[in-house]
Amino acid sequence: MAAGPAPLGGHPRAQRPHLSKMERVVVSMQDPDQGVKMRSQRLLVTVIPHAVTGNDVVEWLIQKYCIAEDEALHLGTLLVQHGYLYPLRDPRRLLLRPDETPYRFQTPYFWMSTLWPAAELDYAIYLAKKNIRKQGALVDHEKAHYDQLHRKINHTWDLVVMQAREQLRAAKQRRKGDRLVIACQEQTYWLVNRPPPGVPSVLEQGPERGSCTARQVQMTKTVDFYKREIECCRKALGRTRVKSSVCLEAYLKFSSQRGPHDPLLSGCLPSNPWVTDNDTYWAMNAPSVAVPTKLRVEQWAFSFRELLEDPVGRAHFMDFLQTEFSAENLSFWEACEELRHGGQAQVPALVDAVYQQFLAPGAARWVNIDSRTMERTLEGLGRPHRHVLDDAQLHIYMLMKKDSYPRFLKSDLYKDLLAEAVVPLEMKRRVFPFMWKPRHSSPSLALLPTSTSGEPEAAAEGSSQQADPHKAGGPWTELAEAWHSSLAPSPTFGTDTQSKRHSLVVTSRGHGGAGGCATPTRPHQPSSSVVSQRPQLCHPVGQKWFQPCHPSTNQFWFK
Amino acid sequence: MAKEECKALLDALNKATACYHHLVLTIGGSADSQNLREELQKTRQKAQELAVAIRARLTPPLRDRGLGAEERAEFERLWVAFSGCLELLEADMRRALALGTEFPLHAPRRPLVRTGVEGGASGVAARALSARSLRHEAERDFDVEDLHQLEREILKVGEMIQDMEMKVNVPRWTVQARQTAGAELLSSASAGVSSVGGVSVQQRTGPCDLSKALAATIFSAVLLAAVALAVCVAKLS
Repeated sequence: MAAGPAPLGGHPRAQRPHLSKMERVVVSMQDPDQGVKMRSQRLLVTVIPHAVTGNDVVEWLIQKYCIAEDEALHLGTLLVQHGYLYPLRDPRRLLLRPDETPYRFQTPYFWMSTLWPAAELDYAIYLAKKNIRKQGALVDHEKAHYDQLHRKINHTWDLVVMQAREQLRAAKQRRKGDRLVIACQEQTYWLVNRPPPGVPSVLEQGPERGSCTARQVQMTKTVDFYKREIECCRKALGRTRVKSSVCLEAYLKFSSQRGPHDPLLSGCLPSNPWVTDNDTYWAMNAPSVAVPTKLRVEQWAFSFRELLEDPVGRAHFMDFLQTEFSAENLSFWEACEELRHGGQAQVPALVDAVYQQFLAPGAARWVNIDSRTMERTLEGLGRPHRHVLDDAQLHIYMLMKKDSYPRFLKSDLYKDLLAEAVVPLEMKRRVFPFMWKPRHSSPSLALLPTSTSGEPEAAAEGSSQQADPHKAGGPWTELAEAWHSSLAPSPTFGTDTQSKRHSLVVTSRGHGGAGGCATPTRPHQPSSSVVSQRPQLCHPVGQKWFQPCHPSTNQFWFK
Repeated sequence: MAKEECKALLDALNKATACYHHLVLTIGGSADSQNLREELQKTRQKAQELAVAIRARLTPPLRDRGLGAEERAEFERLWVAFSGCLELLEADMRRALALGTEFPLHAPRRPLVRTGVEGGASGVAARALSARSLRHEAERDFDVEDLHQLEREILKVGEMIQDMEMKVNVPRWTVQARQTAGAELLSSASAGVSSVGGVSVQQRTGPCDLSKALAATIFSAVLLAAVALAVCVAKLS
């Protein structure tokens, strides 16, 4: 009764093999000799045959398939849930009870495989019939469905009403018992296919089952399958692979080169802002700063990409190129970057501008590109898109990298930059215990502590041999320095804000302390214990928050 | 009047389709038999005859451009109901074919599903054919030939539906049904109330049964009183 042609049991059945298996089980139950024992159901006046008890079903399953009782119960419940068996006493609860509750078999017309998917017209007719039978007293969700269907298939509502009436009249021609049974059957079918809210629907298939069947389809070894395999293997062969020894070498080199520059591994000068709340570090390493730090300038020597990515580095490189009269290379490269990352609407205009300025013969800032790349680029300029200048950009990049960059590193300009670069000082310690501010949690390797005479001297022996006025002198000068800097009216050492800052610092110790407590694993621990001291429980506010993590390393730096 | 004729024919087709549906329900079940298959055949042949007749009646007015808007709307309504009915019939016929092949009545025989439906359905078929009763005159291997014929008939009906779609252009969504929601409740008394059978198996006696029982008790009480009076009269005299 579907509103569309139902397939003749071909495709849908193949997709749901569990249904055909269940049907085979049900049919084998019908065997007059070896099937399930049938009883009769006795109502007031009528006797309806072919009722089975749950117990009988379970026992038959156990005996026929030699399975355990749990499994038989589960299998029986599956049969009931898919509508092949329906309970007579409590039709809405679709489960198999292993006792004397009666069940009956569903007619093959209402089996899931015959009549699937359930059509809306059929459901509408069923609801109309129920409406007539119950005089309008439909269950809530059925009422909702009824209204919804009335809206959806309004144009066939005449047919719905006509069919509902006629089907009821046709049913009246039967015996009472038959009428009851047929009504039960239809009700079960709709309970399974349109379950009431809250009941899980057995018809739902998870997404993985769909892909399972798809994979099974691919398993057939056709010519296409082998062609696809060959293609896959060919692509795999063409991929570039690197030997792990080469990889690891490069990795080691990278780590050793970058180690001193890493703020977590080697500490950051002047201090870790997260620990000390002093953001000088960030100010000094801002993207565009007048005087870059030494570490930063050293980083430019690692690779050309580093140099170009740093705005300060790029600016200095541009200056260098101008002295060499090849600044147009870098300008061209920058213009290409802008094209690649800019807005889509500006692409044609930008391409044109770049061409006029850099590529056209006789242009003001003509760049030197080899002929093949130039040809390709000129071809592509007809249809400009954001990657049309990629080849040319790459060529210029490699040119700069191989040619100008090594010269830059050897140039006086770079050497002067190195010389002028600033090394920030580590923050001074307080002298008095209750004024101590915590050091940066990860002490810098640059401050190789050779003696226990305090860190200013240690700072002096850092790799950066700077003409720092603080570096010379014995302990007394150090003390004097400490006094001096502690009394200096700098915002970080303001007396009023000290207590607050201290407490602030102490509250953040939860993080800093944890970071600092990682130091036991570091090789320089014994000597840097001098450096990595922690303030004592000195401040009353601080006492509430502070949790000392290395009480053993708390020593006066005087010692 | 052409419209009344069409309506009458459509009602008859509707009846035949409903009866056919009712009969197809029991294929493969315990009530399946030669007689059932024969009834199925007769019902569907009648339905097809009706379908052809309706189509002949409905197509000319719908192809007539000069028809008034109201008349046309009416005919369109009838057309939509007719095509829906025909599709229901075709779907049921396909299912009957599938089930008939799966549950053949003769060897190799699969046991029929014991569904609890036992009685004959000749009343239903008779209703479909608007006849008083039905005579069963089928031979032994009726169902096998019947299946072949069923296949051919399905194809015919399919073609008819196709043809109808091509010849007459009635957009379904523009048709407004005349019946409103719940219209079936306002039906005539012949659409039975509860005597059609409560769905609950705990059979609670409906009001019709109650009145019947009441009448029966009153009658028996009167009868008893009459017998008692007669005995008294006989004793006294």
